[in-house]
Amino acid sequence: MTWIACELHTHTLHSDGRQTLRELAEGAVKLGFGAIALTDHNTMSGLDGKEEIEREFGLTIIPGMEWTTFYGHMVTIGMSEFADWRQAGRSDIDRGIAEVHRLGGIAGLAHPFRIGSPACTGCFWEYEVGDWNAVDYIEVWSGTFPSIQTDNRRAFKLWTAKLNEGYRIAAVSGRDWHAQEDTDEPISVTYLEIEDRSGEAEEEAGASGDQEAGTEAEASLREARLIRALGQGRACVTIGPLLTMTLEAGGKTWPVGSAVPAALPGTGGTVPETNEAVRVKLSLDFTVRSGLWSLPGQMFRLKLCSNLGEEVNLDLPFAGNRPVEHEHEHEHEEDASSLWFEREAELPGSDTAAPRIWLRAELWGTVRGAYTRIAFTNAVYFDSEKEGGGSR
Amino acid sequence: MELLDLQGSAVPEQSRTHIRIPFELQANVDRLQIRLEYAPKILEDREAALNLLQESYELYILPEQREQAIARADRHLPLKNLITLSLDDPNGYRGACHRHDPVQELFLSRESASPGLMSGELEAGAWIATLSLHCIVTPTCDYRLRIQAAEKEGSA
Ligand SMILES: [Zn+2]
Ligand SMILES: [Zn+2]
Repeated sequence: MTWIACELHTHTLHSDGRQTLRELAEGAVKLGFGAIALTDHNTMSGLDGKEEIEREFGLTIIPGMEWTTFYGHMVTIGMSEFADWRQAGRSDIDRGIAEVHRLGGIAGLAHPFRIGSPACTGCFWEYEVGDWNAVDYIEVWSGTFPSIQTDNRRAFKLWTAKLNEGYRIAAVSGRDWHAQEDTDEPISVTYLEIEDRSGEAEEEAGASGDQEAGTEAEASLREARLIRALGQGRACVTIGPLLTMTLEAGGKTWPVGSAVPAALPGTGGTVPETNEAVRVKLSLDFTVRSGLWSLPGQMFRLKLCSNLGEEVNLDLPFAGNRPVEHEHEHEHEEDASSLWFEREAELPGSDTAAPRIWLRAELWGTVRGAYTRIAFTNAVYFDSEKEGGGSR
Repeated sequence: MELLDLQGSAVPEQSRTHIRIPFELQANVDRLQIRLEYAPKILEDREAALNLLQESYELYILPEQREQAIARADRHLPLKNLITLSLDDPNGYRGACHRHDPVQELFLSRESASPGLMSGELEAGAWIATLSLHCIVTPTCDYRLRIQAAEKEGSA
């Protein structure tokens, strides 16, 4: 399995962006992204010629479109064709989401608490969602240095509230990237985990001796895997190090986005007779996108959060890493052990009266003088005996 | 050949509505030329703009942050009208031009199109231009949509 650095919300000249797809792709690669979703407002015409740009830059470009409507902006990705954004009334966005799903895509709330009209037309999410199970993801971090902004904090709270209600919704960041302008603010990255089986499609096509077809099939497989990973919540979001979490239960490893069945032992006491502890493995990798971000040395805090609240707090001393300007000034390599951490934690089994239904990890620290979330994982879910299945 | 020249005037109450404008395309059209313009773009009346913003802050900003938002209201000024165009041919969607320019000269042909629109066959039949009135902040906003068709050479 591999984690791919993704930017899931971008625009070009085909809507109100001030960049071509080529300029966007070039900028994305410079910032260490392995994939972007092109989500122009209400059009997919900007995707013309994307295969050539993907090959040129070694970047996956996921087709998408931002529904830019009167009552909210909705990012949609992975559709085979256009879904009509113009019919959605305030109370029937469910129909729109169903149409996106029918066309093979997934849908997320874009910047749901950004100020609405007239300052930013339709930007605030005013749709009455009938069935939150249908919502695939929420863009909880929008823009650069997102974690400190009030509207993003509200979006994060909305996500947590929906998890608490039992919905299984992924959370991502999106820069809403309109132009190649330098910023010194921290850039957020959504990492999606996909199976690392490159060469598979080539082998398949290789039988027919068509190498180009193989490369193309490979690209579309990768694209499909990324979309599936996002739909499943195999996602971790960060302005710096890659924070990931897995659970150990019943002799198996459960990644973020997965649901631990109730019948397994060691799953946190959702089964009355097995009130066993939950083993959590946390990994923090400071080598990702090396040289493209930096954080000062400090005592970080790792948290395990669930519907039961903040369950575990771990202190993590960090010596700091260096920004790109200083990279060549230092002869010696940074000590690798200071850039990669693993921690294990044990959570008590939860009580059947108040079961744990989801769990995520968060990394907190001081960035530009503000104590804030630096990274978070998506949730691992726990099936209860009654429901068994979960959402989608 | 001129297919359409439509002028109208929108008012703030029409914000968040679409105006669907059907037009008929004959066979053998090589290129569609579309011009959308609307004016004014900006609400110059500062007091009126601040009133509108204040109303929106009630809806969108948490009570404890409203005072600060009002003090910093300049970051949301000037307020602008926004009308965008999208296009449908007899078979479906042909794209949208979601951008702030109040004058847009667009074209569409088999081989190419303005950014936002999708190039391809210009099929004869019932087409629709949709004006989406995302937001009208000025007391009135005049708009004009003109569509012209150029026929293939030798087919006239
Ligand atoms: Zn948006
Ligand atoms: Zn956007």
